[in-house]
Amino acid sequence: MSVTSQPSSPVTGPDDTPDPAPATSRGPDRDPGRLAHPLVRYVARRLGVSVLLVLGVTLVTFVLTNLVPGDTVAANLGQQSAEDPAIVAAYRAHYGLDRPLPEQYLTYLGNLAHGDLGESQQTHRAVVADLSAAVPATLEIAIGAMVLSILIGVALGVVAAVRRGHLADSALRLVSLVGISVPTFWLAMVSFYVLSYQLDLAPGSGRLSPATTAPPDVTGLYTVDSLLAGQWETFGDAVAHLMLPTLVLTLYTVGLLTRFTRSAVLEVLEQDFVRSARAKGLPRRTVLLRYVLRAALVPILTVVGLAFGALLSGTVLVEQIFSWPGMGSYAYQSASHLDLPGVMGVGLVVGVIYVVINLVVDLLYGVIDPRVRVA
Amino acid sequence: MTGPMTIRGSGRTVALVAAAAMAAASMAACGSGTSGGGGAGTGTLVVDSSFDLKTIDPGREYELTGQMLTKGMYETLLTFADNDLTKPVGDLATSYQLSPDAKTLTLPLAQGRVFSDGSPITADDVVFSLQRLIGLKGNPSFLLDGVTVAKKDATSVVLTSAKPNPALPFILPNPALSVLNSKVVTANGGTTDDKDGAEKYLNGASAGSGPYVLKSLDVASQAVLTKNPKYDGPDKPGYDTVVIRNVKAATQVLNVQKGDSQVALDLSGDQVKGLDPSKVTVTSGASAYTIFLLLNQGPAVSTATSNPQFVSAVKKAIDYSGLLEVAGTGSVQPAGIIPSMITGKLPAGEALKQDVAGAKAAFAASGAAGQKPKLAYPSDLTLNGLSFQTLAEKLQSQLAAAGIAIDLAPAPVATELDNYRNGKEQMGLWYWGPDFPDPANYLAFAPGGTIGKRVNWPATAAPDIDKIATTAAVTADPAQRDTLYQQFQQGLNATGPFIPLVQPASNIVTAPTVAGASYNPVWTVDVGNIAAK
Repeated sequence: MSVTSQPSSPVTGPDDTPDPAPATSRGPDRDPGRLAHPLVRYVARRLGVSVLLVLGVTLVTFVLTNLVPGDTVAANLGQQSAEDPAIVAAYRAHYGLDRPLPEQYLTYLGNLAHGDLGESQQTHRAVVADLSAAVPATLEIAIGAMVLSILIGVALGVVAAVRRGHLADSALRLVSLVGISVPTFWLAMVSFYVLSYQLDLAPGSGRLSPATTAPPDVTGLYTVDSLLAGQWETFGDAVAHLMLPTLVLTLYTVGLLTRFTRSAVLEVLEQDFVRSARAKGLPRRTVLLRYVLRAALVPILTVVGLAFGALLSGTVLVEQIFSWPGMGSYAYQSASHLDLPGVMGVGLVVGVIYVVINLVVDLLYGVIDPRVRVA
Repeated sequence: MTGPMTIRGSGRTVALVAAAAMAAASMAACGSGTSGGGGAGTGTLVVDSSFDLKTIDPGREYELTGQMLTKGMYETLLTFADNDLTKPVGDLATSYQLSPDAKTLTLPLAQGRVFSDGSPITADDVVFSLQRLIGLKGNPSFLLDGVTVAKKDATSVVLTSAKPNPALPFILPNPALSVLNSKVVTANGGTTDDKDGAEKYLNGASAGSGPYVLKSLDVASQAVLTKNPKYDGPDKPGYDTVVIRNVKAATQVLNVQKGDSQVALDLSGDQVKGLDPSKVTVTSGASAYTIFLLLNQGPAVSTATSNPQFVSAVKKAIDYSGLLEVAGTGSVQPAGIIPSMITGKLPAGEALKQDVAGAKAAFAASGAAGQKPKLAYPSDLTLNGLSFQTLAEKLQSQLAAAGIAIDLAPAPVATELDNYRNGKEQMGLWYWGPDFPDPANYLAFAPGGTIGKRVNWPATAAPDIDKIATTAAVTADPAQRDTLYQQFQQGLNATGPFIPLVQPASNIVTAPTVAGASYNPVWTVDVGNIAAK
């Protein structure tokens, strides 16, 4: 089950169907304790499918990038250099562009198996090195935005559902609608102008102030790395620079989660077990938090997975405005220069992130809903 | 009751932690907003630029940002003092001597100059650096196409060209031809052929003699330079540290006014109009880019655009002053294909002029009525804030006013470049920036030249212009060169398939505390000359 297919019933889904064959029937060489467990089998199967999915991502990205009309040599060499056959030949040979496309793809896969994503035509560096700098930069704002969105969006959604029809509900619905409707790039520009330029409440562009040196690279997350290095001033600077891009990304996702949480909670509030819990005399707060919210979490979780994907795509424009050297900026530059290894690298990373989110969400269904776990 | 109480307690804790974190971040934000900018007083100069950076290996870089950074860390044999592009002067060479046949250039080296590690700059370093540029077969290698480099003696080098090459002294100031510390580069994989492996090293450290050395580089976000303590050249570096950041123009406007940066390089005419003069200084002037319209001369591509009368009609239909209004303050109409600051330019009075009646007559004589050629252009490209989309729409309306109908064919630059370079565009809107500030660079527009071929305009199609171009390419006498290049452009204006439209403005915005940031077409600004007032 993927995050794009919310279960109609939290009991089971296609991927949750247990294998009817008993573990012992798989042969004497199998370790029943390891593969017989349904959860282990399920995760193993999902991981296998995930590898195939990632391979599919590489193939689709490769084919589509090569279908784009345009010559990568023309896009990357200067006007005069592109007229020199010797320079063009050297360029093509360096990037393996002089070989047939199937061979290029197979070579790519071979290198991929060794963790080599090739050399970027726009930065002249290993794509792995580029991405190892860009991905943490994006994750730093995306994860922060996601956590804030969940905390705020779910809380507001619950309030709106409980106060259904009241002023608070109307106000929250309006706010969430605005959050979803306002273009992210516009929000980014306005927030930068007002909060940074006019009010000086936030610093300018980039991940750190010009005078601040980046902390020693451990995770690529400046906040974490500065803490690990005990550089408190750098930590404060990094957090300050995170504020605006995180805020912008949060506002969109909060709107989305508020609306979905409201409708999910409203649906659960009508269920019999909620009425039973109230009839037993359980306090309203207990009913809401321990019964209603838990039951509503499955659809909310589905939306969280989707929202994280939307959030990643939203970073492209936000990173441009805040001069944030993340994956969105890298993807934009790679596409602009027909940088095949760069585009492939971004496609692969985004594909892996989606696959992992799908997997995590599916596993969390079981954690949240015992019926899924039992099934 | 246990559950809710626990939850309530957790909620309070979370709220307290969140509030504390927000307070800390806000304090840090306010702090960095005022001190992080690094004004003149802190010894840090912050330059905002929209990066097109790929590498800062001098032998491989050929993008504007790479040129600017390389200029700050390396030196060349010759340079342009005070941005006077008409006269190359000595830098690591004291002077130059071009032979009468323009094939041999002798350069005596300045004595006593040292690299940033203190080692002396020798003729061997010069030979290695230029031979490496040639051997790498990289983007800038064409600059020394047909040139061999040799050490004459311990204090001078000789550059020999296969053909007369009077432009060579104007090519040598290009930062791609910087002199590298050959021992350091060789020790890090440097060679003079395409097996060279020093790029990675040179993107992490500099090996030159310029006013600054590289501290760190992230091609996506920023470069940090620090003052070279061994520097003994003519520049006057005014800061301990220079941070050059990748920032979009819309954000540059805010940063420079807020004081987060001291120099902004990419603002358009419209953007500088709204700046507060008490906060910033704006230096505007025409850039060295020539935006031009091309009309394909291949009948197989278009029977309309290959018709001389149609070409004449288009030249007369355009309202050139109207285009300048779109281009903004500081932009000018180039009188010919060579921009206004380069030797060989045409007098302004010889620029093409609008003549609507003449355009209508020529269009009628062309017999192209009913045809709608396609105008191709890079729709995602803006040059110094001037959008090609806007310019194309303006051209379409101007031509329509003279009865000439065209269709717009926008495409992303990465894909449209292929059509342009393969001669497939019927009409095209493009620009040319000088590889070196010498008129010889514009021979690409001659029939049979690089751009001439892109419009299917062979040498045989315009033998008179071709003859002038061929003669100009090998003439060394400055006065004769001037005359020949002017004749070349007069021929282009009269019958050529290129229409020079606009030199867009170059705007350099600086904080009031900063001096010395002036525009140069080759390296944009020389950070080594920027200092606090």
